[in-house]
Amino acid sequence: MTMHTRIARTLVATAVVTAVATATIGAQAAPRQAATLDRTKQPVAPASPTTRIPTWTKAKLANGAELIVSVKRDLPLVSFTIAVVGGALNFESDAKLGVAGFAAQMMTEGTTTKSADALSDAQQMLGTSINVGIGAESGTIGFTALKDRFDAALALAADMMLNSTYPADALERIRGRTLVGLQQARDQPNTIAANVFSKVNYGDAHPYGRVVTEATIKAITREDVAGFAREYFKPGRAVITVVGDVDPARVRASIEKAFAAWAAGGERPSFSYPQPPARKARAIYLVDKPAAAQSVFQLGHIGPDRYTPDYYALQVMNTLLGQLFQSRLNANIREQKGYSYGVSSSYAYGRGPGAFRAGGGIMTAKTDSALIEFMKELRGVQGAIPFTDDELTQGKDALVQSLPETFASVGGVRGAISGVYVQGLGDAYYQEYAAKVRAVTKDDLVRVAKKYIDIDNLNIIIVGDRATIEEPLSKTGIAPVIRLDVDGRPVITP
Amino acid sequence: MRKRTRRAALLAALLAAGPSNAIAQPSAATRPAQASSAINIPFETYKLPNGLTVILSVDRTVPRVAVDVWYHVGSKNEKPGRTGFAHMFEHVMFTGSGNVPYGYHDRFTEGVGGFNNGSTNNDRTNYYEVVPSNYLETALWMEADRMGFLLEKLDEAKFVAQRDIVQNERRQGIDNQPYGRAFEIIASQLLDDSHPYSWPVVGYMSDLQKATVDDVKEFFRLYYAPNNATIAIVGDFNPAQVKAWVTKYFGDLKRGAPIVRPTVKPVTLAAEKRVTFEDRVQVPRLQVAWPTVGTDSDDDRVLDIVSAILSGPRTARLTKALVFDAQSAANVGAFQASSENYGFYMVQVTPRPGHSLTALETAMDSVIERLKRDGPTADEMTKATVGAEFGFVSGLENTLNKAETLLSGSVFKGDPGYFKRDYAAIKAVTAADVKRVANKYFTAGRVVLSIVPQGKLDQAAKPEASKKVTVAGDGARYVVEGK
Repeated sequence: MTMHTRIARTLVATAVVTAVATATIGAQAAPRQAATLDRTKQPVAPASPTTRIPTWTKAKLANGAELIVSVKRDLPLVSFTIAVVGGALNFESDAKLGVAGFAAQMMTEGTTTKSADALSDAQQMLGTSINVGIGAESGTIGFTALKDRFDAALALAADMMLNSTYPADALERIRGRTLVGLQQARDQPNTIAANVFSKVNYGDAHPYGRVVTEATIKAITREDVAGFAREYFKPGRAVITVVGDVDPARVRASIEKAFAAWAAGGERPSFSYPQPPARKARAIYLVDKPAAAQSVFQLGHIGPDRYTPDYYALQVMNTLLGQLFQSRLNANIREQKGYSYGVSSSYAYGRGPGAFRAGGGIMTAKTDSALIEFMKELRGVQGAIPFTDDELTQGKDALVQSLPETFASVGGVRGAISGVYVQGLGDAYYQEYAAKVRAVTKDDLVRVAKKYIDIDNLNIIIVGDRATIEEPLSKTGIAPVIRLDVDGRPVITP
Repeated sequence: MRKRTRRAALLAALLAAGPSNAIAQPSAATRPAQASSAINIPFETYKLPNGLTVILSVDRTVPRVAVDVWYHVGSKNEKPGRTGFAHMFEHVMFTGSGNVPYGYHDRFTEGVGGFNNGSTNNDRTNYYEVVPSNYLETALWMEADRMGFLLEKLDEAKFVAQRDIVQNERRQGIDNQPYGRAFEIIASQLLDDSHPYSWPVVGYMSDLQKATVDDVKEFFRLYYAPNNATIAIVGDFNPAQVKAWVTKYFGDLKRGAPIVRPTVKPVTLAAEKRVTFEDRVQVPRLQVAWPTVGTDSDDDRVLDIVSAILSGPRTARLTKALVFDAQSAANVGAFQASSENYGFYMVQVTPRPGHSLTALETAMDSVIERLKRDGPTADEMTKATVGAEFGFVSGLENTLNKAETLLSGSVFKGDPGYFKRDYAAIKAVTAADVKRVANKYFTAGRVVLSIVPQGKLDQAAKPEASKKVTVAGDGARYVVEGK
């Protein structure tokens, strides 16, 4: 991927011309191939194409919101979002967990001039939908639409953001549906595992350990929702991103007109979180799911934040540990052993110390065997099974050369650019990305695997059929087994 | 980077297999002039002498290429008692072939910044990779090798491992999921056991264990010949060069024997069937299904419009009546699930506490009766179809999506450009069509499935009229009590 790529390209271009001539004759006169084709020879791939990083302009509106515009004219489409820096973790109070989600849903429930049905009809007629979502550390309101519907959709989005009425009866409907969803989630082994993982790793005191419950959902009032929404969507913490077939000057005028009433105010949250709890000695936390066909694994611990200088090395390492199909975990536990339909690993990063976790669904009878293999592969990336040169190349290429996929759609470009500013990654993030990935060495991989995988303090959450799996898990000697309920509370054995 | 899931496209097969679905919700769009120019995917198509159909479409937005191969074989080509084989075979196609060692498909797709996958539904099996454009020739070399030379390196140990993995896929997608068996139970009640669409794509657990290496060989020789395959290449490439490569790598593969496709008779039910399944759930659910038609019928796209009128936006009839006005349901879904030669229409309702499935069924029926009696309004017809242009244009941002659209038209309709005809046909659907179709298919001959918590048979819709359905001991069928 360096300088001699150019030379290779020139040679290939020549070869192409020859091949074309042959093909034309071949297709017309003698379609059958000469018997001489040597299929054992893998074609030599020419040099990698250059990744075109999108460009954009950045401005500040009078009310303090940042505006980023990137022109992309392949199709008559525009993608628009207002992203807010900070999310539920930064703006919800502990007693009202879920209010951010309610606020997002209630913004579709009508404005001072439009009923909820009229808002819905208007979106259908524009062939788009305006989506509001408030996540853990950021939130968005936005849409993708045909370019000639952009101004109309923008006006609707502004109306929803600035003039929603948050009717009390809608809150009760949403609350009722949410409670049914929470009840159904308690039957879902993946959701149980995720909730218990949060509780075991972060506890109740750290925002990353928060789980919405029936009690917090029931405590939310209409005033909570309206107040949250009004305070949350403030230009001082907003990043507006527009990508598509637009004229940048005109788009700014459109936004200033639609959001003329959006008064200055608000600032970005500090993201200062309390210290997470101290790490615990390795243990297996078993949640019983009688007669389950699979055991759902989530094993891991608190990891680094997004701003670790080891980010690139860690991404390459984790790509090889548990992201590629032929990653070490999946190649072993799925492909070689046949214990699973798929296992993976990830780092959550985040503004605070997001979790490292590995896991997947394991056939009940192989729960113990699979855990032994997970442990083996975690030790492997720490040096027991050295990384090969080819693994290093794959890990880097997978990250660098998949970027164009992100840049293929207006929504993809919009998400990428917005993410740079919402997460504060710096203007040059994508320009520098490839070089930073390319600089990673095999020694880096082992170093970060040792630093960011803590085998002695691994929290192993397994949701499965206790009657079948508890004893075999104990017998592995990997860790003591502690029983928890679906909320992560200890089960007292009689 | 997403994980590969070589999955039996269970729901996907049922919900999105048809050409009409492949281009989202087509429509009576507003500005005909612009609409007609936007509804376009430029392509060229031709056949090699061995019968392989080739479709090429250039898109230089980003320097990548999608290679997508469809084999016109799916679970409907299987035999009862040997269910799940087509999908298991799909897994075998990733275990290496004559000149391409195991793992190369991953090494030269994911390992160079691309991705790959395969999927099986009732009607077809697909294999695709999206790669940086410099790996296009490599991708063609790999696809041709497994089309031509899979059996040369068939590895029994790898086959056995994939058989285990497919069973895990079933556990993960169905057996370990709340409500996971609903579609299988409904199919078992709508169709008799010999109907080619009656068994699940992923297969029954006890059948999966029966598959042998000899089955693999026989299946490959018949169904994986070039005359049963169509390849689409969409992205940044030089067409003349690619034609040369296609001839070079695929041109000498041998044509296979003619394929006898299963005959699929239209399905109707003489009377209503009511069944109750006890599941490990806390919240019950009602699922009502009517036999309809496949994508080979013009009524299929009308039923899609019925769906847009019944559920989705808050103003849709079932959603408005049950979720918003009466607030008796937590959620409602209504959809036409169509395959090539068969389809069914499904309404699914999750109750709010204090509301019985019996009451919800009655409320649902009254909404459907009103549609049958009065038909839709002009406003509803517009809303149901106006978003089609945006749906189509945004689909053009994805090369793989374009490949799938061209392929479904080519394989099922004999025309990669079928999406244009389909779009125009949907624009031409009238309120009278919707009324006629609602009356034709929403009849008494239907399946009403109640899924209830264990030990709570009384939570079923009209429990006294509903029979208990259980999984048979061998896991290969569903047994209705007293039948």
